[in-house]
Amino acid sequence: MRWLALIWKSLLRSRRRTLLIVGSLVLSVFTVAVLQSLLTTLDSVTNNPNSGNRLAVRHKSGITQMLPRSYETYLRQQPEVETVCALQWFGGYYQDPRNFFANFASDETTIFQTFREEFGLSSITEAQVKEYLRDGAGCIVGETLALKNGWKVGDVVPLTGTIFPINPRLTIRLIFKSSRPSDENVMHFHYKVLEEGVPRMKGLTGAFWVRVHRPEDIPRLIDRVDRHYANSAYETLTETESAFNLAFVKMLGNISAIIQGITIAVVLAILIVTANTMGTAIRERGPEIAVFRAMGFSASRVLSLLLAEGVLLVALGAALGILLAQAAAGGVRGALGAVMPFFADFEITSATALLCLVGALAVGLLSTFIPAYAATRRPITEGLRSVG
Amino acid sequence: MILAGLLALPLVAYLLWLVWALVAYPIPLAYNLRSLWQRKVSTLSTAAAIALVVGIFVVVLSLAQGLSLAFVSSGREDQALVMRPNARSELNSTIERDKMRILKVHPLVLRDEVGPLASAEVVVVKLFPVADGTDTNVTVRGLEATGRRMRPQVQLVEGRWFRPGLSEVVVPRKMRGRFPGLELGGSVRMGGRDWAIVGTFDGGNSSYESEVWSDVSDVMQAFRREAYSTLLVRLQDASRMDTFIQAVDDDKRLKLEALPEKAYFKTLTKAGEPVKVLGNLITLILTGAAIFAAMNTMYAAVAGRTREIGTLRALGFRQREILASFQWEAVLLCLVGGLLGSGLALFANGIRAGTTSFQTFSDVSFAFTITPGLMAQGVAFSLVMGLVGGFLPAWRASRLPLTEAMKGG
Repeated sequence: MRWLALIWKSLLRSRRRTLLIVGSLVLSVFTVAVLQSLLTTLDSVTNNPNSGNRLAVRHKSGITQMLPRSYETYLRQQPEVETVCALQWFGGYYQDPRNFFANFASDETTIFQTFREEFGLSSITEAQVKEYLRDGAGCIVGETLALKNGWKVGDVVPLTGTIFPINPRLTIRLIFKSSRPSDENVMHFHYKVLEEGVPRMKGLTGAFWVRVHRPEDIPRLIDRVDRHYANSAYETLTETESAFNLAFVKMLGNISAIIQGITIAVVLAILIVTANTMGTAIRERGPEIAVFRAMGFSASRVLSLLLAEGVLLVALGAALGILLAQAAAGGVRGALGAVMPFFADFEITSATALLCLVGALAVGLLSTFIPAYAATRRPITEGLRSVG
Repeated sequence: MILAGLLALPLVAYLLWLVWALVAYPIPLAYNLRSLWQRKVSTLSTAAAIALVVGIFVVVLSLAQGLSLAFVSSGREDQALVMRPNARSELNSTIERDKMRILKVHPLVLRDEVGPLASAEVVVVKLFPVADGTDTNVTVRGLEATGRRMRPQVQLVEGRWFRPGLSEVVVPRKMRGRFPGLELGGSVRMGGRDWAIVGTFDGGNSSYESEVWSDVSDVMQAFRREAYSTLLVRLQDASRMDTFIQAVDDDKRLKLEALPEKAYFKTLTKAGEPVKVLGNLITLILTGAAIFAAMNTMYAAVAGRTREIGTLRALGFRQREILASFQWEAVLLCLVGGLLGSGLALFANGIRAGTTSFQTFSDVSFAFTITPGLMAQGVAFSLVMGLVGGFLPAWRASRLPLTEAMKGG
């Protein structure tokens, strides 16, 4: 502990330099933390702990091709299956096309059972569910979405269809709470609204969500369903919900490679800048180091003091950068969540923060070691000669 | 924009003064150059850090440019696209056959010896395997022979065009390599049958370079479509555009809307917007970091040369000359970084990448193109860093009290 004061004093030796390098570090660590969090957010989409026993069945040619609703009967008959829910992305908007949120036409009878975890069923009463089931033009919305638009139960929400040529007017019958923000930015309404409004959708759906009793049964079921419909007029592609989501994340293409590339470049830049600054700081102190050693400090003691100084400097910058990123997370969530629903869950996880901190400390050690080592290896006499 | 201009104004004025000072004052530029050379390690490491930031800047610029290039240059002034209202993209639109017949004989539509210049088209997306083992949605466009004639930017490169009724497709040259299945002479499986790839085309950087093309009836049959998606028409005269749009809007039988082809493509360019915004933010933040680093180096350079500055002053150099001299040193330092960084960015040149446009729900292929213009922007960017990062240290150098400077600090 008594060394800390000495290290702190050395850092404050040139306040301006310390301030500038810390500023540089804060901005760089901030950038890296935000960029890496974008990637981890995307990762978490495909690792939803709630989706372990759900499967998605869709047309083999892609999500824009439809499957017959009659497939539901076969799916329901499989012994592994608990329930099946037909789900179609409606892609409507409320008032402004930029006002993006996920809205689905879904089978109202099985939706609650299939997405049990997402709806936080414990806080929903039987009566509320009945209310929704009774009203054919009813809808259910997540709390975040309701708050954003100022909706209450009983309000009528006019949706404008983009994919489908109908503009349904839906009455909110239930506002649900969910553990993840992205799950609350969702609206569901009765499948009949779509089927009866759009003639070409009669008896068709984009996907089936299948809930199985036990996750172990999933591989077998996937295989059986796809084999059953192979070479039929509507071939299926069955996959776990995570794999289904992954397909959407993959659609971003090489963006994640670009993010990694930028991260590497930034880390390299910090390494160089920090090494340069620490080099200057240590060079300036040549005589002082010589005096220390003349007083009896061992070379390794001086080296560790210098290393501690570099590490403290970097730790300071990294900690501030991470804090800044935490503070900005809300803004990122709002801005990107409006473009892609996944990013509504954007957060700087403690794992990412830790990674940044550890990475920064490594940078600090690495960049200080070379100049510090060179300084402690210089003969004392040479250093003392330049004492003014 | 105005704000940016106001912010840039003092910088430009300062730069002009610096250039003028170079001519009018005796600036010891050779001395500055030698100083940079003498502190090689420090100079190089600062330049390297700046080079990395400038490299990122140029690559991000080329990414944004590549994405928007994938959409512009499409569309003619005298062509209009007819879609279902609120569809917002061709994929979402449907036009029934009877409406198509009404539209094709519309008096405002241009006719030539073959018939009306109007192409009824169907747009679907289909999953295609990408080279990295994943699948991505690709737009498949079915069009009539007229549709090809109406898009002069699209040129056949190899093979021949598809023929109706034979399940043939042509693929863009740009998609080859990223999509291993799409080779001339090969075949793709769509809608339960095999389609021969009979030709490749070049789309002149338009969004068509991310689409697979085939005959409209073949595609409709394979994807079980009973209705078309859109209609592209050429009008007799570009000036009749508004009249045509109004006419379609007023026709109660149609319930469709028309929009200028160019306007439609403009909405597609929004796909690049989030990347652009994110990229600009990243570079803005990193610029701050680089400026701090440059400042640090220059402060260290000034602090180590107090005696030299004193000597310069004693020799008769005035304060503003010292300011200009040190400012030039900072600018040169950053310019080295800028040049290096722009060169570094060249490594990204030609790399092909793809992402999905959420406007069209399908893949967009684009290439990183590091143009001389982008590299010049990178160098100009480093110049700004030098000006901003070097100013305070240079100011300090010029204001050092003469007596103290002579003593050597």
